[in-house]
Amino acid sequence: MKLKLTLALAAAALTALATTSAYAQISAEDQITFRQSGYKFMAWNMGRIKANLDGAFNKDQVRAAANVIAATSHSGMGTLFGPGTDKGIGWEPTRVKPELFKQGAEVKKLAGNFAAAADEMVKAAGDQATAKAAFGKLGETCKACHDKFREKE
Amino acid sequence: MENIRVWDLPLRLFHWLLAAAVATAFISGHLGGNVMEWHGRIGLFILGLIVFRLIWGFVGSTHARFASFFPSAARIHAYLDGRWQEPGHNPLGALSVFALLGLLAIQAATGLCANDDIAFQGPLYPLVGSTWSGRLTGLHELVGNGLMALVALHVAAIAFYARVKKINLVRPMLTGTVPASELAGARQAQGGGLFSFLIAAALAGAVVWFIGGGHLALWLAPPPPPIATTPAW
Repeated sequence: MKLKLTLALAAAALTALATTSAYAQISAEDQITFRQSGYKFMAWNMGRIKANLDGAFNKDQVRAAANVIAATSHSGMGTLFGPGTDKGIGWEPTRVKPELFKQGAEVKKLAGNFAAAADEMVKAAGDQATAKAAFGKLGETCKACHDKFREKE
Repeated sequence: MENIRVWDLPLRLFHWLLAAAVATAFISGHLGGNVMEWHGRIGLFILGLIVFRLIWGFVGSTHARFASFFPSAARIHAYLDGRWQEPGHNPLGALSVFALLGLLAIQAATGLCANDDIAFQGPLYPLVGSTWSGRLTGLHELVGNGLMALVALHVAAIAFYARVKKINLVRPMLTGTVPASELAGARQAQGGGLFSFLIAAALAGAVVWFIGGGHLALWLAPPPPPIATTPAW
């Protein structure tokens, strides 16, 4: 009985430990991979919106794509720029500039602009003309951060 | 007072359209957003201008022809010794012309393959794929800065001629002529008629249509078949 209780307690403790550490601690390599995946997936959705703006406009597709970008922008991706992720290889070598890790306030501002523009994109998804204007503004917020915090290829 | 024809009309049109287009391309490329669409269109226009100029370098009038101002060592030497009296591009200016045309050609070619990682893809993107498109985009940005340096040098040289040498280079590029009194013994530029112009312009237009219209990419790298029905998930 005592052994059983000890085992149960140990199992509970291990489970608790495993759940907290597994989710809280992501290796630098995985952080880079996850964030690259996020940007790549957003790129697919940016492309989808553009295709709809250039060709036949399907507001459901635009809204679905805009939702992905907005959700990603609010996902707290900043946690994927942890210590030790200034260099390294995810799917490919990271192109983040060291400045990103030093200019927290500026990064926060640009990320906020991006999230706000992404929200506007969702709101504007119903109409081609407003969607096009929102899409242009959204692209500018992407570029603002790329220009400042990403190495050119 | 007699005037000597130096720059033919197509050459002058080319020059000023190119200047305006390069300035617009520079600004639009740095603005991004929806303006990128225009950056792409202007890039195609510049491609057309470059193709036209390359052809015009063979069928244009005297001083438009590459052979007439090719900066050979002997010519550069003569110019530096002060023995160069010909109208048209002087040998040092010719170096600048070839450098500008070469960089612009590279700039147009890399731009065709480029993407901005946001929403823009050049018409040849499908041909080179994402990895090479990224590399060529990096080169596009690098060459863009090199071009701006050359443009600054170009403008500085014109200012130097105006201020120090008291020679107005802008006026002949507008009017096409130089007073005969300033060019002792120079002859009128010959050739570069309407027929040559139409051939060069038509070829330039065809190249832009074929590459910029996406026909080249479609021909060499057909896209994957579209999904017949959009899945519900």
